[in-house]
Parts: sequence; C-alpha cells; structure tokens
Amino acid sequence: MSDNGKHTNVIVRIQRFNPDNDQKPRMQDFQIELKPGTTILDALQEIKTHQDGSVTYRKSCRHAICGSCAMNVNGKNELVCKTPLRERLDKNGVCTVRPLPYLPIIKDLVVDRTAFWEQYLRVKPWLAPPPTVQTDREYRVSQEEVAAIRNAETCIMCGACYSACQVIALNKKYIGPHALLKAFLRVLDPRDAIPGERLADLDGSDGVYRCHTIFNCIDACPKGLNPTEAIETLRKLAQRRLKVEEERLERQKTITEPIA
Amino acid sequence: MRIFQLQRFSAIALLVFLTIHMIVVHYPPFHIDFAQILIRLENPVWKAIDIAFLGAVLIHALTGAYMVVTDVERVYSYRKPLAWAAIVIGILAFAYGSATIWAFRMPA
Repeated sequence: MSDNGKHTNVIVRIQRFNPDNDQKPRMQDFQIELKPGTTILDALQEIKTHQDGSVTYRKSCRHAICGSCAMNVNGKNELVCKTPLRERLDKNGVCTVRPLPYLPIIKDLVVDRTAFWEQYLRVKPWLAPPPTVQTDREYRVSQEEVAAIRNAETCIMCGACYSACQVIALNKKYIGPHALLKAFLRVLDPRDAIPGERLADLDGSDGVYRCHTIFNCIDACPKGLNPTEAIETLRKLAQRRLKVEEERLERQKTITEPIA
Repeated sequence: MRIFQLQRFSAIALLVFLTIHMIVVHYPPFHIDFAQILIRLENPVWKAIDIAFLGAVLIHALTGAYMVVTDVERVYSYRKPLAWAAIVIGILAFAYGSATIWAFRMPA
C-alpha cells in the first residue's frame, strides 16, 4: 500500500485452463504494479511479457472497436482494453478475470465463438438490395430512417451480450441478441429488399419470441446499445410482416435519385 | 408467434379477471362468506366468468411453462410432443374445472 491508501501492487486473478493438462479451470494470482492509466488489458500484457508467457487471451486494436478482448471481469462482461484496472479492484486489491461465460474454453481466456458466428450468419447480416439496381442513381435515406437504426450500427460484435444472455446459457439454438440486433439493422434499413423474409426467419421458436427480456445484454454491452429494444421492435414487426413488406416495396419506389 | 400471442392475450384477460376476482371475492363492501359464494354461483353469468377465468389461467400457465421448459437445449428437440402434452393437459384440466363449476348447485 502507498501512503494515500491506494494499492500500488495489486493482484490480477486469472482463470487458467489448458486442455492438454487441466481437467477443469483453476484460478491463478499474478501480482503487478499498478501504474496510472493501466487497463486490464495492459495488466494481462504485463503478466504475459514478464511473468508467464503461456497466459492466453485475445486482443487486437486496444481502442474498444475490434471486439476481440471481451472477457468477464469480476462477474461482468467487459472489453478489457477500455476498462481501467483501478476501477475493478475489490477491497483487497484483487481483480478477477475469466473468459466469457457459457462458451467453450479453448485456452485460458480464449473462448470458442463458433456458435456466436453461426447464429450471426443465420440472420443474413448483409444488405439485400432490390433485384434491379440502377447504376446511374444513388440511394437516398432520410435522417429519420438513419436515426432509427443508429442503435444497431455501432455494434462491434464483441460477444459480451451473447455470453451474458441467460437463454444462450441454456440453449445455443437461440439466435441471440447480437444477431437479432443485426437483423433489426437490416429489417429497418429502407435499402433492404427482403424484410419480410427476414422477419419470417426470426419468427420461429428460436427467434425473437425466445427472448425473456432479462436485460443482461443491455447491461453487458460495452457500447451502450439496447438489443432488448431491438428484439421487442422485431417482435412487433414480425406480427405485421406482410404490411412491412408492402411498405418497403412502396418505399423502394422512391429511394433512388439521380447521383448528385 | 402463436404461443407468444396466446400468452399476451391471456395475460390481458387475466388482468381483467383477476381484478374482478379480487373486487368480488376478497374486497367486497361487506363480509363475504360461503353462503354468499353459493348465491353468486347460482347465477350462470358468474359461472361463465369463472370458466373463462379458468381458461385464461390454463392458457397463460401452460404457454409460459412450455416456453421456459423449451429454453433448455436438451428439451428443445421435444417441442412438438411437449406442445401436444400441454394441449392435452389444458383440455383435460379445462373440461374437469368447467364441469365442476357448471355442475355447482345450491345444496337443498
């Protein structure tokens, strides 16, 4: 402890698991010096560089935009690159880092995201333009239409919401908040030509009605997005799917204008 | 979607029926006793209300239980047999409960 009562040497407790040697995960403590501005990712990097090179985790951009470093810190899913270590220390100066829950562990803090990406691809996350695209014209989307989908646009696919969802914990066949948020983005996008088909796909027993509005996804999202609200909107739209299709066809008649 | 809608509509019906139930049975302006219940159930309109109440309770409970149980991946593949089991249980419980309410007569 320093004179001002703040911890200078702190413990980072990491869940370790090596499938080649371990039967089940175990916790390992590492002591590091807490410097100003140290994030949890910095701490992991410090441990890997100077104490144990076998500590395994994912990272990439270090700017909270790639979504690689989502982990469970003191029981909450977070991006460790943007989380200051000082803010996550308990009264004993310990910060506990685990891999994202409910996903198979590959090694230490690295999880297998296969189910996550499978569900993502299932909602056809790409834009489906109208069959006849006019190359001499451009799409014009109104400010209101952009504002409606802004919530979903900033998702970085980190998996924090997916791994915090209690329904996913029980059933990997559920599409999940990340993919439903992306589906919301496409369904509401006036350039998309297949909202009816998308809503029909989401209407099944493992689609939007499987969500129990537990709100864990909102709590976990490092970007402050609201997947639950998107799922609720999709539920409402799914119940008037044919009307949505008609409205989209009408909208697409006027969406293209000459290139400015 | 149908299960979701059934549960929502039955929830709205339950809100109405429970309000009536609480006002009539638990918070009457006077003391309620078995004799008054007997008088009330002599009226076929009250019998119809109670039977509708029973229907709403069964639909809401069984659809809710079905949704929660099928959340579990191991059970998920048995969705159809579970749905049929819930329908059969619902019909049997509704028939038994309705017959009991409808057959109710003031003791001689």
